[in-house]
Amino acid sequence: METLLENAVRGIPTGCVFALLAVGLVLTYKTSGVFNLAFGAQAYASAAVFYVVRKDHEWPLLWAALLAVVVVGPAIGLLLERVLFRYLRTAGSMAKLVTSLGLLIAIPEVVKLVLGDESRKNPPPLWYVMRTDEWLWPRNTSIVLDAGQIATIAATVTVVVALVLLFRFSSLGLRMRAVVESPRMAELNGVDSERVSMTSWMLSSLLAGLAGVLLAPLFASLNPLDLFTLLVAALAATVFGGLTSIPLTFAGGLLLGVLQAVLAGSLPTDSILATGLRPALPFLVLFLLLLFRPGLRSTREVTDPLATVEAPPPAPVALVRPHWMTVGTRAFGAVVVALGLAACWFLLDGYWLGLVISGIILGIIMMSLIVVVGMGGMLSLCQAALAAIGAFGTAQLVAATGMSVLGAIVIGAVIAAGVGALLAVPVVRLDGVYLALATLAFALMFESIFVPLSWVSGGAVPLSVPRPLIGPIDLADDRWFLLFAVLCAAAVSAVVIRLREGTTGRFLQALQTSDVAAASIGISGRRSRVVAFTVAAAIAGFGGGLMATYVGQANYQSSFPYLIGLVWVALLVSAGARSVQAAVLSGLFFFLFPAILTRLFTFPGNWVESNPDAPSWVASALGAIQPNWAQSVAFILFGIGAITYAKHPEGSIEAQTATSVGAIVRWVERRRGDAGTGPSDPVPPPSPEVTDAPPLAGTGRPTADSGSPG
Amino acid sequence: MALAAAAVLAAVALVPACGNSSSNSSGGGSSTTAGGAAKPSAEPGVTDTEIRVGGVASVTNPLGGKYDQAFDGVKAYFDMVNSEGGVNGRQLKLVSERDDKVASNKDEVRGLLEQDNVFAVLPVATLLFTGADELVAAGVPTFGWTINPEWQGSADNPKANLFGQAGSYLCLGCEQPAVPYIAKEAGKSKVGLLGYAVPQSSQCVDGYDKSFTKYGDEAGASVVFKDSSLSYGTTDFSVQVAKMKDAGVDMVVTCIDTNGVVGLAKELKKQDVKAIQYLPNAYDQELLDEYGDLFEGSYLYTSFLPLESDEPSQGMKDYRKWIEKAGGEVGENSLVGWLNAALFVEGLRKAGPDFTRQKVIDAINSETDWTADGLLSGVDWTESHTQRTNISCSATLKVVDSKFQPVEGPGGTPFVCFDLASGTLEAVRQ
Repeated sequence: METLLENAVRGIPTGCVFALLAVGLVLTYKTSGVFNLAFGAQAYASAAVFYVVRKDHEWPLLWAALLAVVVVGPAIGLLLERVLFRYLRTAGSMAKLVTSLGLLIAIPEVVKLVLGDESRKNPPPLWYVMRTDEWLWPRNTSIVLDAGQIATIAATVTVVVALVLLFRFSSLGLRMRAVVESPRMAELNGVDSERVSMTSWMLSSLLAGLAGVLLAPLFASLNPLDLFTLLVAALAATVFGGLTSIPLTFAGGLLLGVLQAVLAGSLPTDSILATGLRPALPFLVLFLLLLFRPGLRSTREVTDPLATVEAPPPAPVALVRPHWMTVGTRAFGAVVVALGLAACWFLLDGYWLGLVISGIILGIIMMSLIVVVGMGGMLSLCQAALAAIGAFGTAQLVAATGMSVLGAIVIGAVIAAGVGALLAVPVVRLDGVYLALATLAFALMFESIFVPLSWVSGGAVPLSVPRPLIGPIDLADDRWFLLFAVLCAAAVSAVVIRLREGTTGRFLQALQTSDVAAASIGISGRRSRVVAFTVAAAIAGFGGGLMATYVGQANYQSSFPYLIGLVWVALLVSAGARSVQAAVLSGLFFFLFPAILTRLFTFPGNWVESNPDAPSWVASALGAIQPNWAQSVAFILFGIGAITYAKHPEGSIEAQTATSVGAIVRWVERRRGDAGTGPSDPVPPPSPEVTDAPPLAGTGRPTADSGSPG
Repeated sequence: MALAAAAVLAAVALVPACGNSSSNSSGGGSSTTAGGAAKPSAEPGVTDTEIRVGGVASVTNPLGGKYDQAFDGVKAYFDMVNSEGGVNGRQLKLVSERDDKVASNKDEVRGLLEQDNVFAVLPVATLLFTGADELVAAGVPTFGWTINPEWQGSADNPKANLFGQAGSYLCLGCEQPAVPYIAKEAGKSKVGLLGYAVPQSSQCVDGYDKSFTKYGDEAGASVVFKDSSLSYGTTDFSVQVAKMKDAGVDMVVTCIDTNGVVGLAKELKKQDVKAIQYLPNAYDQELLDEYGDLFEGSYLYTSFLPLESDEPSQGMKDYRKWIEKAGGEVGENSLVGWLNAALFVEGLRKAGPDFTRQKVIDAINSETDWTADGLLSGVDWTESHTQRTNISCSATLKVVDSKFQPVEGPGGTPFVCFDLASGTLEAVRQ
């Protein structure tokens, strides 16, 4: 019993770490309505600034802390609010979450470009010593705290007390909550919502900065990934507090830390239970809380009561354009695909061909996001895990039975669909951010519990997957494999389009427009969403199997880590979550764009090398451009793409398509008007007027999306 | 709708006469020459004046590792060889330095083969090695840093063209005598093992466990605590250290990353546990500059002559001289690049003026005692692709005053060698 208690106490410092991060997330959510996945990235920015001034420039502690926490933290918050989130106050949780996803991807890369990406070892603590273990207290006892732990505990308790006082007893706290509930209603009551919103973001970003500076010394060197890993471990505490209660969130964080320590002390270290449970504990707790915490399952998120006066989201252009244009688009798309295929076949070398194939396969996986996110309105963050299930299923079946790879890929997809269905049954009852968190928790549990198992992933050595052989055609040849991948993409596109136009698709669209209205005419939201989730899982699994056979092995680390899955979501949503062509283009963009950037960034250095007589300032300016900036720049642009979701929730490609369709329709109308003949088809107005089209367009005439560029 | 979806997927699967390709890897439409008896001028990347090679490293990586320094090692070695007139009248040139950003290894390897027109691939200093099959299929001599299981071959697929810096065979879960020997030398008797609940780490812990089972009696040390269920990225070792303290652990052997060993060392200090660590991933003076006092008295071993060697071999003297000339940093990564280049040049020279890729590979694979001018204890390439050699050698280092200090073996040799067949810790002459 004494040992148990001692272990429980040992968990308190870690509990405070979780609590600090979780309270920061809840504060942002309470005061801005944004579940800010970029909180860890903001924390990293302040920690990097603190490192540079405190360690590299040897600033005194106070000035370094003031700059990093009190100046840089709130400045980032103010910038984000002015540039982005002010436009999202009345937006749904999906828009806010996707925007924060974009920031999560972009901010660390911006910091690296500005401050350099060298390894920053031994981050200094927020204390007067330069390393946490240089100050220990109390000495000669069984439980000793270091400077970092004491600073974290003190800061966490102070923050919690201050925030509780702010929300309980100050008018500012009340105004912050009012602006989140409804900025327009708040303004009607004389609240300056702009000012309150800015204050909220500055406050929550200050807390992010504080968390970053406090928690960075937990690691041997400063790394944004470490802070994000801590953040996702702390998510359970935010849900424990219902995303609203600061005291409960604090308690949740503490409990999580204590539970971890108690389990570490009591479970036999070599037991399967310990191996499986301990690493996955935060995610398992998060998942269970989301499923069983009273109030989360049936509660729809609070949204602006005045939001419903706005028009519903526009229907996809493909559903409202004239029939003749659909036919024309199909023909044009077929020609473009054929020409592209021919160009790839005859012109590309193995390197570029490989990137194109990877891009098309990723396009297939992204089509699963179209079904679940675009059509179903559910922000799933576990599609990479479902793709991995397909890949592992394929690899294990081939290894165990020697069966045809094609058959194994299909069975792998079925396995992924089964897992997806099982996951969907409890998860679709959740809404918005809760559903996103539940799927993220599933992805993290899969990574922690299942990926290490040899009967799942093969263990330390990735399982090999051969290429298929179809009759006389050996798909080991990349050109044939490209053709095969394109055919698979076309087949999956057809499935997605049929689903969208079928009963389930129309039900889902009705549900996205109004849950209540859809229910009143007998549409079962739950059943439709489960179907969508299951089909999406099958598509992801199918894509995962294809990726495994293309790469030659089912390698989780290189193909399916959950963080890469988050980038996929950000990329697709910014391109257009309801458009098949956006999925394929996003997949291609993901692989081709960084490679193209690398080539571009290589030119200046090469030019300097081959022109030794160039002026020194030109040589030094061009020589500073490094090819390894490519990934950073690409990720920043991916992030910015997600951020533009605020302006174009339909996606940039869909928006561009709508503009093009509008221009063509106008041009045709003019031509027909000049010729004195009326249009044979009723032509819907172009975007943005296209939003006036009925949400369930297409009931009066055939409207189909060819799935081809258009 | 569900039926329609199933039908489409089934139609793809049920294409008649489906099977699996016997090829391990994609060949592409324009695969590179796999070797043969072509004249040198017909070999990819070979001109009358140059032999061009290319490499790939995880330059952009989340761990902050300086893997790009492997390029510096290769360039420094080539500078040295070129200053002596090159090989067979040709200068050696590293023409391509690719960054695989960890996840794009296969793509970048393919770029080396398809775009860069290189004769050989070196260095490969990457965290993942998904492009290994491409290189094996193309038969390109490949030299790199052996941390991935893809380097090692098997009886049916020996991967005879993949050369690690000191052998290609990895055996994470095997017992080996080096760490029990360190326990014996350090006079430690109670060992604690720590690892993450990920396959590579837990296999590594199992390997150390087996090592102490086999050699523990002779070393006078035994495992009294073992935990390989830590979550990756954990920052709290308080409970594990408390348990180790109770068990009287005086040496902690880990299979965890730098974050882990630093966090563990801080916790050992907090709980006043006087235990040393065996540090498998910490041969980095910069790390000791920051945390050296925490690791005082700790050990690690290397497969090559330590950089701090008091009586450096000719190879080490050359390495220090030329890496400095090239403006590179002295360190494990650049030394690996140097070793890769040295082995490549050795193969090239042995293959003679009519060299081909295959001849270079064959020449290296006939080496039975490759030492790189004293940097290695001796690698037998006739068997180092597919199995451990019977004689296992390593150089031991101890942390003294925040510096790595080489520990001499019996007779003042830098390496300590064991005969694995004998099953004892008795050092043998290589």
